[in-house]
Amino acid sequence: MRIITWFGILTLDDHGSAVEWDLFPKDTDALAGRLVRPKEPGMDIPPAGFDLRCAAIKCNFVASNDEYNILLRDVSILAAKYRISSGTPDMGIIQAIEALDNIDETSNILSERLAEWYGLYFPEVGLSSEPLARFVAKYGSRSNVLPGDYLYKKAASSMGAKLTGQDEELVRIFAGNICTMYDSRNLIEEYIVKSMETSAPNLTNIAGALIGARLVSMAGGLERLARFPSGTVQVIGANRALFKHLRGRASSPKHGIIFNHPQIKNALWWHRGKIARALAAKISLAVRMDMYSDGFNESLKIELDAKIGRIKAANPKPPKRENKGVMGKEKSKYKSKNKYNNNNNNNNNNKSTGSR
Amino acid sequence: MSPKEVSSGIFEITKRGGKQLATKNLVPGASVYGEILIEINGCEYRIWNPKRSKLAAMVIKKFSVPIAQDSKVLYLGAASGTTVSHVSDIVQNGIVYAVEFSPRTMRDLIGLCDLRPNIVPILADANRPQSYAHIVEEVDIIYQDVAQPNQSEIATVNAKRFLKKDGHLLLSIKARSIDTVANPKKVFKEEVRKLAHDFDVLDRRELVPFHDDHLGILACMKNNYELI
Repeated sequence: MRIITWFGILTLDDHGSAVEWDLFPKDTDALAGRLVRPKEPGMDIPPAGFDLRCAAIKCNFVASNDEYNILLRDVSILAAKYRISSGTPDMGIIQAIEALDNIDETSNILSERLAEWYGLYFPEVGLSSEPLARFVAKYGSRSNVLPGDYLYKKAASSMGAKLTGQDEELVRIFAGNICTMYDSRNLIEEYIVKSMETSAPNLTNIAGALIGARLVSMAGGLERLARFPSGTVQVIGANRALFKHLRGRASSPKHGIIFNHPQIKNALWWHRGKIARALAAKISLAVRMDMYSDGFNESLKIELDAKIGRIKAANPKPPKRENKGVMGKEKSKYKSKNKYNNNNNNNNNNKSTGSR
Repeated sequence: MSPKEVSSGIFEITKRGGKQLATKNLVPGASVYGEILIEINGCEYRIWNPKRSKLAAMVIKKFSVPIAQDSKVLYLGAASGTTVSHVSDIVQNGIVYAVEFSPRTMRDLIGLCDLRPNIVPILADANRPQSYAHIVEEVDIIYQDVAQPNQSEIATVNAKRFLKKDGHLLLSIKARSIDTVANPKKVFKEEVRKLAHDFDVLDRRELVPFHDDHLGILACMKNNYELI
């Protein structure tokens, strides 16, 4: 039996002891490279209970236990470093979309603060968020507003306090910081749209760049998203609702993050669950195309639009709201189920699920 | 205030009336994750928080932890290396094979390995022991803390391949990663039943109040009667 180990290829006799060996060069770099690469075919792994350390000393690869430890440690650290450094483009997208959310959150808080602060000096300004930040960064005190500006009259007759000296400088710098935040937000959004179009064109076409990027981020990568069943895609981001459902206290969520898709958001409420299901099915197909094949396929989008059209045509009127008695029965039905990817098709009036 | 050795390499330090676990710092001066360093009689100790480490909780829960100074340990689910660093303190003359699946946490773990001479980091899936069979030798201890639904299967396949005949398995079972909604007690019972196929379960205790819904297990391979 020929087995491969981290230090060489050994031939074992029937009793499991090494009789012949072909040792690798004792070079940390080369050994680590070998660990990273996929194994050569036709080679067995050491049988259970095989003593690697003993074998390494027996065939004079290392002279002592300590040397074995030191060399193996160095090689493993290097191998782990090699494997980590091979990143994929979706990792950049994930960080970017997370950063986008962080910026939105922070810039909102800061904008509110600026509005409060600047309100002391110019309550009539009537601007908020980005326009306000740009205005303050540009002028500072309202006394600096130029006659050509449409706010000139308001600024001249404002009831606000005077803004001078250190106060003015502080507010202006603060507003300037908020402006740079909005600038960087725009850059990040551009980046996401561009890199989504190159690394996941089909997904971008179906879901849009930002929702697509959010899905990738929540799944933890394009490949993981591609492996999700579409039922999971449908409810990604609806964690609280999903767990409430799994504990048997609610009906299943109809949509998670994909709710933000205009096709769902703007749909009538009794269409939403059905459209979410169709959309999720197409998203799954699109991601798989992006992940496992090249090229762009426009037909998915056309099929989706046709499907949504059919859903809308088939359900012109809202269903009657269920009364409480029915809900009670529903509850006990949900309680008995445990695997969530089997039963998030809540409004299941449609015959086909949209995937072919 | 003098440290009392409660198990090989694990000390109990009494400070202002309160007791704390600690291990002797293998790399004096370096704090791994912000833990407190205390010097007693010229020896530096790192405080070991049972709320952050399931192994520390097991020690406090009076498990007889069979890790010795020269033990070889296979550590499955190493994460960022908080507990790994303490195990590396304990096995001063031994070696720790630290298996972790996530590249992100591996990044932190490598930083730790660079400082400590006795940790071998392995980026691999603990579900597939054959993928690191060409690196890992037979070990005295398998310590497993993975948040996977098939925790007991992982323990079994690894123990069959890597655990010495007289070796021990230390396992922390997280009920919530097996079934988020079921009653933890039921989950524990089921997991122990699965383990009993191949192991003799020597000790089992829940790790409350340090970790909710976790069960600590000490086991050894079956047909191994001369031990304990």
